[in-house]
Amino acid sequence: MTVTLSNTPVLETDRLILRAPHGGDWPYWKDMALSDRAEYITAPGVNESIAWRGMGHIIGHWVMHGWGSFIITRKGDDAALGMTGPWFPVGWPEKELGWAIWSPEIEGTSIAFEAAAAVRDYAFETLGWPTAVSYIHRDNARSIKLAERLGAVLEPGSPTPAQAAPSETDSEEDNILVYRHPTPEAPS
Amino acid sequence: MTTTITIPTLHTQNLTLRAPKPADLPAYTAFRSDSVQTKHLGGPFNDEQAFSQLGEIAGHWQLRGFGRFIVADRTTDEALGVVGPFFPPDWPEREIAWSVFANAQGRSIAYEAVLAARKFAYDTLGWTTAISMIADENIRSIKLAQRVGCTRDADYQHPEFGAMQVWRHPSPEALT
Repeated sequence: MTVTLSNTPVLETDRLILRAPHGGDWPYWKDMALSDRAEYITAPGVNESIAWRGMGHIIGHWVMHGWGSFIITRKGDDAALGMTGPWFPVGWPEKELGWAIWSPEIEGTSIAFEAAAAVRDYAFETLGWPTAVSYIHRDNARSIKLAERLGAVLEPGSPTPAQAAPSETDSEEDNILVYRHPTPEAPS
Repeated sequence: MTTTITIPTLHTQNLTLRAPKPADLPAYTAFRSDSVQTKHLGGPFNDEQAFSQLGEIAGHWQLRGFGRFIVADRTTDEALGVVGPFFPPDWPEREIAWSVFANAQGRSIAYEAVLAARKFAYDTLGWTTAISMIADENIRSIKLAQRVGCTRDADYQHPEFGAMQVWRHPSPEALT
């Protein structure tokens, strides 16, 4: 039985198709989750079973909110390269634009920038978000660079997920930075 | 915009077995935070975990092509439990799983839902066998397994939950 999500949007950019997740994304997610690339993406100690449930959560977020993180693909190739999009699980202080690049192959291609810019437009224009943040680990230099390229600005003092909903699984030191995205410009 | 996971809906005399939806979150979170109810399930879980886990029920359907249903009151649609085909990577084989929320116990809800879910697994998904995994101390579930005709197999050693009893359901042929 093929099971799909209904009513999910597809975004198109110059090079990319951004779509909701499907079951075929699992091998790509798994490869990333069990590699060093997962350092800033998954919780420490991830195994296949935890990664599988994480993929279920990414899919389920769409059901819970009606929107969620898009899978990044190149036009003409459905292989999952990463994900980016609106993200707001219980415990998040406010709505986030998240991104995670699964495939090392797209580093240095500006694909993450192209995708994140498109989903930010979607969040502001279609979902009507008045503002958005991105939560980024302070050591994740690539992600910080992307946030800055998108015009997001470090906002010291804004609550992080760990501060908003402390849990015993949080590490003692909160290493998350809050970047605030520029709000959409009023029509001139 | 409402996004749903497109799965079949089953009806029994008193119940609807359907896809999870956001309105189920309060009842599901209450269930996951109940230390008695989740004693055999690795819990209790906090609100953030419950949100993820309710979503994972939907995600399982997309990843496997089958999954567990929210069992709801056929009249009010109130979520009463989670029952159905379940097969995460750390499971020995395909399971018919069940959990009934505290306020819905004692009404034969699990029995009614398990029979419907098993029929779905056999008739629609084409399963030729099914197990249910139960913790040693979960007397209520062991009784239900017996009531739906299961017989005990060798235990399964789960890496996180420890030894679990494996109860095998009657085959599709045995039920006809």
